[in-house]
Amino acid sequence: MRMIAGLFAAALALPAAAQDFSAGSEAKEWGLLGEEKARFEAKVVDLLCELAGDCPADCGAGRRQLGLLRAADGALIVPMKNGQPLFTGAATDLFPYCGKDVEVDGVLVGDEEQTPAKFYMVQMVREVGAADWARANLWTKDWAARNPGPAAEEGPWFRKDPRVNAKIAESGWLGLGLEADEAFLKEYFQ
Amino acid sequence: MRYLTGLAAFAALASPAAAERITVTGEAIDTWCYFSGVMGGADAVQGTAHHTCALWCAAGGIPVGLLAEDGTVYMVLKIAADDAANGGDMLLRIASHVITATGEHHVRDGINYLIVNDVVADAGIVNLTHEDYGVVPDFAIPEPKE
Repeated sequence: MRMIAGLFAAALALPAAAQDFSAGSEAKEWGLLGEEKARFEAKVVDLLCELAGDCPADCGAGRRQLGLLRAADGALIVPMKNGQPLFTGAATDLFPYCGKDVEVDGVLVGDEEQTPAKFYMVQMVREVGAADWARANLWTKDWAARNPGPAAEEGPWFRKDPRVNAKIAESGWLGLGLEADEAFLKEYFQ
Repeated sequence: MRYLTGLAAFAALASPAAAERITVTGEAIDTWCYFSGVMGGADAVQGTAHHTCALWCAAGGIPVGLLAEDGTVYMVLKIAADDAANGGDMLLRIASHVITATGEHHVRDGINYLIVNDVVADAGIVNLTHEDYGVVPDFAIPEPKE
């Protein structure tokens, strides 16, 4: 019995993504470190609730990072990225599903020398049992709704974001101040 | 008795792990670029070279991590009462800064998480990676118009 308990414990302590979840995946390849296609069922959870028992009724109303509690092995997967190539995370796309069982398709990434667990890019999501997939590309639509003025201008969101632009105006592209920027840029663009 | 011991071991592992209070010093990084290699090597996606991209990613809701000197990355879930880890203002304020934080450390399935109680020191941006790498990605700073 001790041996069985020990084996069970060892299995539970294994880093996430030790198994192959690529069957049936139609995820796009990005050529990232340790990339593996991964399609699996999971419950969308509020990470602060799951880890620390800090559980607001509305999953934090979109403010919080969310996790994927994978059905097959109980592993808590961190979705870092949505499907857009635009510096955009996954929490906004997953928030409508918080507390629900979903199926996701995407890629796991991460080099084992750098991290014992892989992280996830969600490209498609649907509730378990639903016929249609939703593309994980809601972030920019959400941003545009929050920033209608900049959204109406030309260019990608990250060039127009008022908060980002305020930080760059305050402390420069390098974050070292405008004076340091000026000296660097003069040489950099020579 | 052995059966109960086994059940207890299983229950302990299946439940949320108890938090450990720690103090950690590290750089607030953009975790996607760091772990995915999408912009190249890990050394190039830290500090000043990657500061603009770190702002984009923090604003874009990519999780911010604290990269400690020993290479451990702690996923930051909350800072004091601020739980806006999905693109909140606080994350833009600390992007690329080396901070010292006290908080609750959780480990689950190989990933380290930090619920910050207090930022006790902020050394600012001190990792001058632009001296070696320029700007990463290279389009982060638009070329000045003539």
